[in-house]
Parts: sequence; C-alpha cells; structure tokens
Amino acid sequence: MTEEIKADMELDLKGLLCPLPMVRVSQNITKVPVGGIIKAVATDPGSLADIPSWAKSTGNEVLKTEKVEKDLIFYIKRLK
Amino acid sequence: MLDIEKKELMIQTLKNKVNKQLLYYLDVCARCAICRDACHQYKVTRDPKYIPAYRAELIRRLYKKYFSVLGKLFPKIYEAKDIDDEFLLSELYQVTYACTGCRRCMYYCPFSIDTLHILSVAKAILLSAGMENQILRELSDAAIMKGENIELFKDIFVTMLKESEPEIREKIKDKNAQIPIDKKNADVLYVALSGMHSILPAAIIFDKAKINWTLSMFEAANYGYFLGDSQKAKTIADRIVSEAKRLNVKEVIITECGHAYRVMNFFYEAWTGQKPPFKVSALIDSISRYIKDGLIEVNKNPSSEIVTYHDPCQVGRNGGFFEEPRYVINAITDNFRELTPNRTKSWCCGGGGGLVAIPEMDEFRIKTGEIKANQIKETEARIIISPCENCRLQLDSLNEKYGMDIKVKSMMEFVAENLKV
Amino acid sequence: MNMDPFSFIVAILVYVAVIVFVAGMTFKIIVWAKSPRMKINLGIYPKPRNGFVRFFRIIRDSFIFPQTLEVDRWMWVFAMLFHAALFVALFGHFRLVREFTFVSNVIGQDNLNTLGAVGGGTMGIIMLIALGYYLFRRFASPYKDISVPEDFILIILLAGIVGLGDHMRFFGAVHTEDYREYFQSIMRFKPAFNEALAQSQTRWVLSWHVLFVNLFVIYFPFSKLVHLIGTFFANKVRSE
Repeated sequence: MTEEIKADMELDLKGLLCPLPMVRVSQNITKVPVGGIIKAVATDPGSLADIPSWAKSTGNEVLKTEKVEKDLIFYIKRLK
Repeated sequence: MLDIEKKELMIQTLKNKVNKQLLYYLDVCARCAICRDACHQYKVTRDPKYIPAYRAELIRRLYKKYFSVLGKLFPKIYEAKDIDDEFLLSELYQVTYACTGCRRCMYYCPFSIDTLHILSVAKAILLSAGMENQILRELSDAAIMKGENIELFKDIFVTMLKESEPEIREKIKDKNAQIPIDKKNADVLYVALSGMHSILPAAIIFDKAKINWTLSMFEAANYGYFLGDSQKAKTIADRIVSEAKRLNVKEVIITECGHAYRVMNFFYEAWTGQKPPFKVSALIDSISRYIKDGLIEVNKNPSSEIVTYHDPCQVGRNGGFFEEPRYVINAITDNFRELTPNRTKSWCCGGGGGLVAIPEMDEFRIKTGEIKANQIKETEARIIISPCENCRLQLDSLNEKYGMDIKVKSMMEFVAENLKV
Repeated sequence: MNMDPFSFIVAILVYVAVIVFVAGMTFKIIVWAKSPRMKINLGIYPKPRNGFVRFFRIIRDSFIFPQTLEVDRWMWVFAMLFHAALFVALFGHFRLVREFTFVSNVIGQDNLNTLGAVGGGTMGIIMLIALGYYLFRRFASPYKDISVPEDFILIILLAGIVGLGDHMRFFGAVHTEDYREYFQSIMRFKPAFNEALAQSQTRWVLSWHVLFVNLFVIYFPFSKLVHLIGTFFANKVRSE
C-alpha cells in the first residue's frame, strides 16, 4: 500500500537474542550517511520495544515496523 | 587534558563513594597478587593489568593522592596519580568494563577484597568524566525510554503473546492456558527477558502449576547496573517495582538472569534506601519449589545424554542458589555430571558483566572463556544448563568457537521439555 | 651518660614511634568507624547459618585463609611461616619487659636461655627466608608490575630489623639481662646502656635494630600493614 522504502544497508539479525539486535543496529548506524536508512530484519520480539526505544533515546527515527510471518522488519533512519 | 571542573567532579565522585567496605579494601591490600590465578581473564591473557589487585590498585592510586596524608606528601611511595592521568584512565576503562563481576578473586583473597565493589567506584568516576561504555549507555537509555513509552510496543507485544498461546495449550493439554498480562491482584509478577525463549517455557511451567501469574511488560535485564550508573539502574528497576505495585502482586519472580535477581534483591535497596514492597524470588528457586511441592511433575531420564550445570556467578557465589538447580536436574536425569570446580569456586564463563552485549569485547570474552570451555569438554556432557542469560549467550559462543558439540539450555526450557502432562 | 649520641637519638625516637603508632592507628580506626557502611550485605555464598558460625569463619579466614592455599600454595606457606615466626619472636621480646619466671621456675634459667637462643634464632632465620621469598617474588613477573615502592620499603625495613636481630642473637656477647636493662631504662624515660652494652660493639647493632623498628612502627599506620586489624573487618564483610 505504501511505496517501498529504499534502504542504504540491510542487516540480517534473525536468530539474535536481545539485546544483540539493538546493539548491531547501534554499531552500524554510523556506517550509513546522515539521512540514510538501515533495514533490519530480526526475529526476537524484544527488538519490537528495544529498537524504537533505542532510536528515540539516541535521536534517530524508526520509519516503519513490519511483521512478516516470524520476521520483524525495521526501517531506521539516521538523523545525526 | 580534562578541564578543572570535570576534574573536581571526578574527585567529588570518588569522595562520595567512600564507605567502610571501600576503605578496608583500599587500606589492607598487600598486593600479594594471590588473586591473579583466581581471575580467568588474567589466567588466559597473562596480562598484568587484569590481575584483580592491579585493577583495584588503579583506584587506590587515586585515593592515596587525594585522601591519604602520606599519599599527598609522598605520592611516589604509592605511585599515587592525578585523577585526570590519561594513561591511568584508559587502563581503568579497559579493566573495569572488562571485569565480569564474578567475584572469584574475592573468594580466594586472604582479606576477602571485593574487586567488583572497587570497580563500581571506578565506573562512577568514569561516568563523571563522560568516559563510560557507550553501548551500555545506549542500552540503559533505551530501557528507560521503553519504560516511558509503553504505547510504542504494547499492542504488538500483546499480539505476539497471543500468537504463542496455542503452543502452550497444546503442550500442557489445557485449552484455558494463557500468558496473562496486566492482570490485577495476581499472586506472581513474572519478569522475563525480552525474547520469547524466556517467556514461553516459564508460561508452560506457571500454567501447569496453576499459578495465578501475570507477565511483566519489561525485561529483567538492567544495563544501568552494568554501566555502573546507579541513577539509571534505579530508574530501570523502578519500571518493574511500580508495575508490581500497580498490579498489587505478592511476589515478583525474576527470570533466569543472574544480575537481575541481585539487582532486585540487593542493589535496589542500596540505591533507594528501601526494600521493594514484595517478595523477590529467582525463577530457579520457584521451579525447584514447584517440583518439591508436587505442583509440577517431570519425566525421569528422558534420554541418556550427560547433563552438566554451570553455576552462574551471580546465581551461585553471589546469589546463593547452589542446591536448587541440582535438585531440579537430578529430578529429571541420573546422568548429571558436575564441572570441576563448581559451586562457590565455579569459573566464570567469561561473558558476565554485560560483556556479551559489548561488540568490542567479543574476541576477548571468547578467548578468556577457554577455561570454561575446557571444563565443559572434560565432562563429555551433551547438554549444559545455566540459569543466566549472559552465561547462555557466552556458552553458545564458546560452543561454536571451541567445537564443544553441546546444547545450551535454560532450566525452564529443560523442565518445560520434560514436563509430565 | 654512657650512651653515644646516635644511640641516644634512637632511644628518644622510640617515644616518637610509640606516639605516632598509637595516634596513627587510632586515627585509622576512627576514619573506618566514622565512614558510612553500605547498607546491603554483599558477602559470598554460602553464608554462615548463625552468628556463631560467622564468628568462627571470620577468625578462620583472617588467621588461616584456607582457600588461598588452593590457588597459591607457596605464597600461603611463606605467609604462614612469616607471620607465625613474627608472632613467636615478638612474644619472646616480652622477656625484656619481665623475665618469663613462669617458665624458668619449671625448666630452670639455663634451659630458658637455651630455649630463647634456639627458638628465637629459628624464628629469625624463618623470617629472613620468608622475607627473601617476598622480595624475590616482588622482582618476578607479574608481581613486579603491580608492586609500588611501599612494598619494597616495608620488606627492606623488616629485613633490617630481622637481620640485625639475628646478628645479636648469633654473634653478640651480650645477654638478655643487659638488653632488659636497656629496654627498661627506656620504659623509665631514662635511656641508658649498662656496663656490658657500653663496653660492647654490639650496642651499634642494637641501636640500628631499634632504629629500624622505630621507622617501621612510625610507617605502620600509613601502610598496607593496617591489615593487622583491617583483615578482621574485611573478612567480616565476606560472611555477611
């Protein structure tokens, strides 16, 4: 229904347990330019709360969260 | 160079942290370094800076400089250092955030010096200098943010829980089984970790035992504690305390997570001056009670695989649960084989203190986990049980890197698998 | 006055040393006592069942620290030898305050003197060997990396005290009664040598021995040696 978000980097975080999905996103956020987008695919439901909370507290933005079967897909935009 | 104001703040921080215990530890250490081989990090790396006495010595050098008469007059005698000494601070950062907090050195020290206690002061000083570990800080901030914005995730979280319920009903043959959340006046508030792996097996056990329980919306892990920021740690713990008060529960059961139980049972009181207004239990203890009281039954000898048990430092030596886990394992299998040494002398797995969450520590923690890996190999066990998430993540890494060919399980998982239905 | 100026100064320094030691230790204990105690008990499990067991453990851990034996056997052996010998040797010095008549009445004065010579001499040798081990260990890796000058100062002072004491024990022609007179002259605030000491070259050894003791005692309250008392408090935390 919405147009596809174009990601600058894709992270496969499937199978990683909390808090590692968040840690990986944090590690990689500086590898995309400001305004760039990371698409992260996780399976741990803890990341549903962790990644948006992390984004909020570090001043970045989660554009969209999708749930496709068991996969949780996050689009995270680097704001600074 | 750090500016004057920051330096003052750091000195003040050290001053505020002075208490009886710290003074004993700083005053009595003879630097005999008997502790050296008690520490798995020194034993594996042979790098003197990881000797527990040396880690403590860094704080002693600052203390002598500012708070001891002779240290002020003749700093050289004690190698006393300025608090903004860059080399000292960089070493202090390395050895402090590397420490897994297992307190094995305290066990072997003739004066019972608690290196972890001294390093908690080191963390406070590093924090006041803005030199704290960044990942641990981000994890702490995210946890606080999560507590303030439940609406961010609540709906989808509840949906995921509902989706898991059929699995429980199937497993225990009870079509009313569920994962209750936000249930007022429940007897038990269960605080899990954020993954389903810590929720589902516990739910199976609670539902089978007919416990009137409810699941917490927050995870037990407290990265504020690992960060060493008592203010943040308290805020993170308060999410659970206020939830328990709001739901008016009698008991809070903390999942199999080493530091989380200690935070609730010990440190919360240190930070706030009061005990939490409910009973705090560790899940491992509750499970052994349920079996003892006949609330749940387990199948005996489901397989002939050798099972071993790793005493997580925060659960055993620092938490007091030695026999409960062994009782549960022995209820399920006759093929239990101990690691040597075990219980209060247990070797740290190498992943504690939040190390598993710090990517730059990955190589170090896997290297220093060698002792644990060898211990496990000796038992020829195919299953290792450990009631601590940090330990399990580390054991998983060790399993992969050292080719141990072993299954790493939590106690709840082991019990849920072998539950008699 | 039959004392040379050096010996006289050393004798006067005894009073300074006693004052500094008592004041320093008192100060240390007051600082400890007045500091806030962390409210929570962070001892090691399994914790003692009751107060009696706790008391037993504090005494055991402070005097024998058996767990240390498992992780560093030689250090434990030498630490035990050193401290035990130190205790016995120190106890022997009480003959200078008052002759151990309760012993000489039973075994005779000659036998007591022999016992003192053999026992004291043995303790002196044991301490010297243990100090040699301590010093050797400080120079070995990794211990040298964590040592600070304080560690060497204390070993040197102790080696001086013990070495000179051994010298008096093995080579001196001076007897316990003469040392007792010297010691008591200091206790009466009238330091003096008796005829035997004044005539003997051993008085130099004696004065240097006492000088090292003075320096050691003065430094004591400001050094890691406060573990003499602190060990009980620190080991108590372990059992709480």
